[in-house]
Amino acid sequence: MSTSYTITLDINRYDPDTKLSWVQTYRVEASAILRFVDVLRKINDEQDPTLAWSSSCEHAQCGSCGVIVNGKPLLACELLVKDGVGQFKTHTFKLKPLTIAPVLRDLVVDLEKAYDRVHKVRPWLIKPASPHPDGDEYRISPKTLETYSEATRCINCFCCAAACISTHHHFLGPNASMANMVRLMDPREMARGERMDILYREDGVYRCHTAKACSFVCPKDIDVSHFLALGKEGRF
Amino acid sequence: MGAALTVDSTLRCDVLIIGAGGAGLRAAAQIGERRPGTRIIALTKVSSPQKSHTTTAQGGMAAVDPKDPMDRPIFHTFDTWKGSDCSADQNVIKKVCDIGWEEVVWLERHGMHFSRTEEGRIAKRPFGGHMLDFGERMAFRACYEADRTGKGIMDTVWAESLKYGVDFIGQCVATELLFRDGQCIGAIIFRYPEGKFLAILAKATIIATGGNTRMYLVSSNCRGNTGDALVLALQAGLPVMDLEAVQFHPTGMVGPGILASEALRGEGAILRNKDEEPFMERYAPTAKDLAPRDLISRAIIQEIREGRGLFHQDHNAHHVWLDLRHLPKEVHEKKIQEVCSFFKRFVGVDPEKDLCPVAPTAHYQMGGIPTNEFGEVQSDSQGIVPGLFACGEVAAASLHGLNRLGTNSLLELITMGRVTGERVVEYLKDATDPEEPPGSRLIVFDQFSTYLNAQGKEKYAQVRDSLRNLMMEKVGIFRTEKSLVEAIEVLTELREMATHIPLGTTSLKANQDLWQIWELNNLITVSMVIAQGALARKESRGAHFREDYPERSDGFNYHTLVYMPQFNEVTFGKRPIDMSIFEAKGEHYELFDYIVREY
Repeated sequence: MSTSYTITLDINRYDPDTKLSWVQTYRVEASAILRFVDVLRKINDEQDPTLAWSSSCEHAQCGSCGVIVNGKPLLACELLVKDGVGQFKTHTFKLKPLTIAPVLRDLVVDLEKAYDRVHKVRPWLIKPASPHPDGDEYRISPKTLETYSEATRCINCFCCAAACISTHHHFLGPNASMANMVRLMDPREMARGERMDILYREDGVYRCHTAKACSFVCPKDIDVSHFLALGKEGRF
Repeated sequence: MGAALTVDSTLRCDVLIIGAGGAGLRAAAQIGERRPGTRIIALTKVSSPQKSHTTTAQGGMAAVDPKDPMDRPIFHTFDTWKGSDCSADQNVIKKVCDIGWEEVVWLERHGMHFSRTEEGRIAKRPFGGHMLDFGERMAFRACYEADRTGKGIMDTVWAESLKYGVDFIGQCVATELLFRDGQCIGAIIFRYPEGKFLAILAKATIIATGGNTRMYLVSSNCRGNTGDALVLALQAGLPVMDLEAVQFHPTGMVGPGILASEALRGEGAILRNKDEEPFMERYAPTAKDLAPRDLISRAIIQEIREGRGLFHQDHNAHHVWLDLRHLPKEVHEKKIQEVCSFFKRFVGVDPEKDLCPVAPTAHYQMGGIPTNEFGEVQSDSQGIVPGLFACGEVAAASLHGLNRLGTNSLLELITMGRVTGERVVEYLKDATDPEEPPGSRLIVFDQFSTYLNAQGKEKYAQVRDSLRNLMMEKVGIFRTEKSLVEAIEVLTELREMATHIPLGTTSLKANQDLWQIWELNNLITVSMVIAQGALARKESRGAHFREDYPERSDGFNYHTLVYMPQFNEVTFGKRPIDMSIFEAKGEHYELFDYIVREY
């Protein structure tokens, strides 16, 4: 049998009908290998069906279950109970919704609104390079691809944006800025001027204070601040 | 109960796309490209299309590069036919295999970050059942972006749709299709955040909602893959096809069943039993670990049944090993980076040093809403429903028949998405804005009233877990008449129970409980169709395996159509398997007969 822990979850609640907010405490007997999404499901199953939270793929590939645990934005699907206890050195966890969009209910935030920032950087190829003379794919060397492929792994979970000290002050945020950097580094993008306008606009990369919280919290271990630094230096 | 249920407002558009994953948005991009200015509304259950299930696909997308001196589209066509256990439609296989490479290039030209060869070309890897020279040796045919190919595709079609100004409505479900004089004119949708119903009237409606395997205890599918649109079709009196064909992916990570891509075996990983014997050599002497998924999943269960499996204490589950220890460090770090990180985080093993515990996981529905080769939804084996289209996993054209080859699903999303988009553009030429639908009471209002007023003692978790255990045990990889009859009986009980589950709150706003109970009812409905189809198909073919009828039987050389307008009021129909390649009597036509399937 697996080890289990008795953990306490203090969860921020919000009721959109009454507009009331409160903190509710749940005590859960949880197997060490459960993910935090499993723990939330267990609360729904055994204690409180009204607690709302969000998830989809539940293995860190969609970025729907971002939540703040003891101050750190992370994916609830990625944190196992034993790792939570190990990392935070406690059996008590304070869960809050991400701070990057309005709360819909409890831990569910309106990620649709948060995505507006990503849409602003126009993540498609604005002006694609001419096709290869043979008519098939554009040639990109693995070496070139490697300079930015880490940044393409971003799943827009907005954990970095929640951790960023500048996000709330007119900054597009780390993930959206990085999406623009991907296209600046992509040899197929010819709309360099427009890309640079996005990079250096009023809410652009110079709003970043280089605190590197984005890199620290990224659930995909992407060095987000590295890509923002390249943007500031104009190295792309 | 609070406020009365009403439709809050009506929106109009040219094209309504229900489901904004790979297939739906490839269709959207095609319409945007070919018919600029088309008003498209795309619905998604999740908060952004980027969070769709497509994004979790890992290994690759099959396509024959015309510059490859060894490979030819006819090999791919043959592999798909053989892989389907002679139950896919040859017109569809041919069409999809012939345009596969064009679509790879389309994705690349629109910004997808494919992995590259040293020459800078798109890299390719081997995959199960994909072979050269009609099954002689492995083909390098799967174009990939590391082990996040689905994400690469999703990001590309999502960005293209944004470019064309597609209006996305997130966090919503379509609860009912709307018809007028037999023509589909849109759908009723329910928005989760505000708890409001909207009517969307459209000249054309495309269903592209993806898969449904959340009724299985172990499943690689996203939380929202609950077969909702299949239920919409059934309620509208339309048939669904081949739902008994459920693919179990051989290598789900022990526990919840997170996908561990076939790309791992494509890169050289080996399945081993408790004695560390590479057991696939006994089951498929030529293809070994790259045999099709149905064969490997059965082999794994066979090993476990005969005492050569292992038992995972923490997850309380049987498994075998997947061995990646001999693969070069470079492969671990670059080509299968995501899956390696999943093993480390979710299972606590390091694939570079440790054997990885895996077991089959419910992964894919081969069947779905029947369409012709243009993505037009069929009302029976012949007729079509004007204004209604379907593509991707939710549809059955059918490229896969009763078993799908790995990397053929991403191929299908993109090719059939484009084909369907093109057909919609044609359709729009003569289409006019629909009139208001006839004012009959909506089915969803009755459903929601039942859920909101339920006062029973049943618990949501109890019904959900009973369903998932039942389907895994009785309607899983191995089936018998006895297990299926039992399952049908229990499903009837579960259906009844599900209508009595009291809700924690009767608010309509962001009510997770209400949403999940609606989904649970859909899962039970779809499960019933799977079980009924499996009971009727008294043979074994592809992923459908009957222990009491272990051989394929020519008497079942057809697609199963099931109509179920009311729960468990089932009528069966048949759709012939398209044999057009065989019938054309061209080169190699004899291989497209009902051939013996060995690997």
